[in-house]
Amino acid sequence: MQVEENTMENEPLSARESLLVIQSMIDKTKTQLGNNSIYFLLWGWLVFIACLLQYFLMVVVQYEHHSYAWSTMLIGVIFSIVYSARTKRERKVKTYAGESMGALWTGLGISFFTLCFILMQVGWQYAFPIYILLYATGTFISGGILKFRPLQIGGAICWALAVGASYVSYQNQILFTAAAILFSYLIPGYLLKYRTAASN
Amino acid sequence: MFKDLDPILHSQLRLAVISLLIGVREAEFTFIKEKTNATAGNLSVQINKLKEAGYIEVIKQFKENYPQTICKISKAGIDAFEKYVNALESYVKPSGQ
Repeated sequence: MQVEENTMENEPLSARESLLVIQSMIDKTKTQLGNNSIYFLLWGWLVFIACLLQYFLMVVVQYEHHSYAWSTMLIGVIFSIVYSARTKRERKVKTYAGESMGALWTGLGISFFTLCFILMQVGWQYAFPIYILLYATGTFISGGILKFRPLQIGGAICWALAVGASYVSYQNQILFTAAAILFSYLIPGYLLKYRTAASN
Repeated sequence: MFKDLDPILHSQLRLAVISLLIGVREAEFTFIKEKTNATAGNLSVQINKLKEAGYIEVIKQFKENYPQTICKISKAGIDAFEKYVNALESYVKPSGQ
């Protein structure tokens, strides 16, 4: 029975046909989840570039205000607000997973922002291990919500990198952060994007 | 045959609608129409039957000056779907298991 192609009418069903209808419809709601990859890729690239830029400004150029590299985060904030408002307007379905992802990353986004004020008081020496820890938490939970193992593996790698980063110099912590974002956002983000493309 | 299967759910389109709604919090009429490939008229009739049975809630509202119909599965709908799937399993499983 071609559930996807035929117009559905009210024909009598066999038990196997009923199961096919159920399976087909449940599969169709699963593909709604892949839209999340855009946020992982956007923030993944922004943080990755900011890390390498700060490292370049600090180590190669020896520029005093190397932390200005992080002003690129403003692009992500503006894009995320505009994109989420637009998709919310166009959204035809609300999923439990989508709502959980929204709440999780809004909460973490506020934590990233709040942490800046805390670190201004206590010092930035161990800022990167703490940020990597937040990436690990967000990515691991996202992997659970989306039932997508590469995100969970990325989260687990970040926990190891967070510990490792606390044992190295500040400038090397930047490279640990770039590696963390590669494993937790960029690689799983592309895998999520390709999985969605394949299932559509 | 199939006398134990809920007649409200044992129809291709109504079963498809419930199967879509079981996995989401709520969905617009246009989303359900797109995913089931049903005609608007037929889908409206079947959604109404599900609503009358108490299996779904239908909310009609306006979104940016356009009418919008939102459907969500009810507790009775979830229970009925679970019973339906359990009954189906007994038909699909080979006898003696």
